[in-house]
Amino acid sequence: MLLFLARRIGVMIVTALCLTFIVFYLTNLPAKLETLAKTQAGSRISDAEVASWLDRNGYNQPMLTRYGEWLGVVPGWTREDGDGDVTGRCYRAYGITDPGVAPARCGLLQGYWGESTRFRASVADVIPPRLGATGLLMMWALIVMVPMALIVGVLAGMREGSRTDRTLSTFAIASTATPEYVSGVVFIALLASSTAGLSPLLSSWGWIDAPVLFQGNARSALEKITFWNFTLPVMTIALYGMGYVARITRASMTEVMTQQYIRTARLKGVSFANIVLRHALRNALIAPFTVIMLQIPWLLTGVVIVEVLFSYPGFGWTLFEAAVNNDIELLLAASVVAVIVVLLTQLISDIGYVWLNPRIRVT
Amino acid sequence: MTHKKRKATELHRAAKLYASECTEGKLSRREFLTRATALGVAAPAAYGLLGLSAPAARADTPQMGGTLRVQMDIRAQRDPRTWDWSELANVCRGWLEYLVQYNRDGTITPVLLEDWEANDDATEYTLMIRQGVTWNNGDAFTAEHVAHNFERWCDTSVEGNSMASRMGAIMEDDALREGAVEVVDEHTLRLHLSRPDITLISGLADYPAAVVHPDFNGDPIGDPIGTGPYRPVSHDTGIGAVIERNPDHTWWNEGNGAWLDRIEFVDLGTDPAAWVASAEGAEIDMLYETTGDFLDIFTAIGMDQTEAVTSSTLVVRFNQENEPYDNRAVRRALQMAISNAEVLELGYSDLGIVAENHHVCPIHPEYAELPPIEMDRDAALDMLEAEGHADTEFELISSDETFHADTADNIAAQMREAGINIRRTILPGATFWNDWLTYPFSATSWAMRPLGVQTLNLAYRSGVAWNESAFSNVEFDELLDQANGIPDADERREIMARLQEIMQEEGVAIIPYWRSLFRHARPNIHNAEMHPTFEIHYQNYWMS
Repeated sequence: MLLFLARRIGVMIVTALCLTFIVFYLTNLPAKLETLAKTQAGSRISDAEVASWLDRNGYNQPMLTRYGEWLGVVPGWTREDGDGDVTGRCYRAYGITDPGVAPARCGLLQGYWGESTRFRASVADVIPPRLGATGLLMMWALIVMVPMALIVGVLAGMREGSRTDRTLSTFAIASTATPEYVSGVVFIALLASSTAGLSPLLSSWGWIDAPVLFQGNARSALEKITFWNFTLPVMTIALYGMGYVARITRASMTEVMTQQYIRTARLKGVSFANIVLRHALRNALIAPFTVIMLQIPWLLTGVVIVEVLFSYPGFGWTLFEAAVNNDIELLLAASVVAVIVVLLTQLISDIGYVWLNPRIRVT
Repeated sequence: MTHKKRKATELHRAAKLYASECTEGKLSRREFLTRATALGVAAPAAYGLLGLSAPAARADTPQMGGTLRVQMDIRAQRDPRTWDWSELANVCRGWLEYLVQYNRDGTITPVLLEDWEANDDATEYTLMIRQGVTWNNGDAFTAEHVAHNFERWCDTSVEGNSMASRMGAIMEDDALREGAVEVVDEHTLRLHLSRPDITLISGLADYPAAVVHPDFNGDPIGDPIGTGPYRPVSHDTGIGAVIERNPDHTWWNEGNGAWLDRIEFVDLGTDPAAWVASAEGAEIDMLYETTGDFLDIFTAIGMDQTEAVTSSTLVVRFNQENEPYDNRAVRRALQMAISNAEVLELGYSDLGIVAENHHVCPIHPEYAELPPIEMDRDAALDMLEAEGHADTEFELISSDETFHADTADNIAAQMREAGINIRRTILPGATFWNDWLTYPFSATSWAMRPLGVQTLNLAYRSGVAWNESAFSNVEFDELLDQANGIPDADERREIMARLQEIMQEEGVAIIPYWRSLFRHARPNIHNAEMHPTFEIHYQNYWMS
């Protein structure tokens, strides 16, 4: 078990290294650096000013050196100002200007995540609140998605080919075939517009006081989550994942329902409800469990679209802002976080699989 | 400065022009009233121009209190002199004030100055600093502080310090010229210019010209020392900013503003659909700017629209250092193929007024009326044939911003109609602006400037940094120098006429229209009409 964990963590580090290097390479192409200089020092500055800005901010070294600086294995750049003060990567990191005081290396290994150029703040300060916001969104999405998906899947799978099965399967396929950028827009038009969809009807019947039923924008959820401002983003995410998990649950349920022991239980007169709940369910949930865990990193990509659509500043929104503004160190940190989330959920899914299915061992 | 001294009874030239258009039936009465009042003509006077009497209106006195929520981009703050977006300035207007202010009607009024005087050839300015102003840290505001700001503005060693380009006449060797700023007494400052410059004062109204304290450390949020009545509470890039009335500071203009308790800027991203959703959910009261298709939508959901006529435009310019645009006949031919009125109608939904391929707008005080420009597609093709470019494939580049792309598309369509071979290239905004100065043929948006000569100085004088058309003309430069020395707009107009003609004759660019700007706000927000330079003077807004 320990060996298994160690191997997994090893894989995680190697993956994170490869991924961050690719991100680093792509965000440090010369044209990208020029864009960065322009967003930082003024959008209409001249080429000479761009060159001077890049030089003064340590972007003029070889790419590998700077990747090493970010990792914390290569000493950070330093430069002496005219008036005797020294500046450099590590001087800025700790806000020091006296020569020789700052440590030589400052990077990931030293626990320094860098500065976000888009938000003008330390990356370590930018990511946690955003991750927390996304955590809330994901939590509610999972709370809605998992029970709904399991109920739909179990109901559909317990009598294969029945009318219930056909209806629920159609619903599951339709929901999983509708990407977030479609369902989100449809939801907004249908439920959050004062001129189209349901809201004008409800409003004219006097059922709602506000001009719209739900808020089509989740910005206010940052301060206080309410049913009215959080329903649409949560539903948009949940609906997409739900169909898929329901399909897997149904397949797994139908398979279990054809097993010999189910037939035996039936023959000995156990009620149908009891068969489903006590004999079939646990076995049928093994496959959906892994899928649900794998859905979490998958949701993380959906979250980018949903958070931008509903202007909800979470992790996906941060990733989008960082990518659009070529915020190098924020993007790198976001990739590290993404790698950790993906591999951690896989780890949990593997361990949980063993726990649910005693026939499998990790070693 | 004549543009400041316009009397209240004296009507704006453009307003009279609109009135005649309205009586001729070219302009609807409603449209006329919007435009005339946008030019600072009081509503009764505007009705008077049409020979009507104004409907009786209830006079409103401002009320104290309220929280105003405004949709606006919130960008990372930095030193005011390096600001490149007016949004950055709008956040800080409540505590960082300006020496002078540009108003919706094109006039300039003093703020931290009491008054100013220029000598006859605009080489010496005397600034009378307002008395009784204090900083919110308790220091008294003096001429020394203003002198310090001039020094900051002239420091070109700071990348992106755009104030330096406005201060050329008091600079030498990339810094403030010694003796250019003379502190006469505690409340008087004299500027000695090396050459005549009439744009200096209006440059002080530009958004990077916020006046800061000598101890200012470069971060207007973390270190909000200012003279204004508000102070920042929080500022999160990309998310929002909150500003509240400063209870520990007595504002010099106490009682004439600072009605609102709190201003919340909300950044909902760049997609106007998200703004609509938020406005429908009653989460925002006002927009920074409303554009294009969304004007009708915001009106439909019960917000009031205000308009500002401006001299901002889209310049579809040729770069004369590139083949075949080094040839004047080619440039003229391409210009002649275009009907500017059609570009305005189809490329910009008629949200402005037609321009005449030169960069001086009717709202500029020194605008000279020229004969209308001609459009002749057959002649255009003949001219291209004569130059051997009948089959040349031209390429028109624009950014992907909606109105840039639409306008350029329409220009290309008109050229195709004339039989000219043209290709359109649309680049993403981030890539486009990397090379905006050097594209052979492309569309650049230009913001409003209060005086006609200002943009000419910035963009068309030989060899200046933003001369994207690579236009270089000795006569033009000399006349521009002359115009820069005439403080009186009416006298300057004679020279302007020739400058405008040169731009047309040389085929510098297709300048199809002057954009009107729009803003939507809820009906209970007052004094918040759109401003030609996007300024949000929230210290003057109030809610009922």
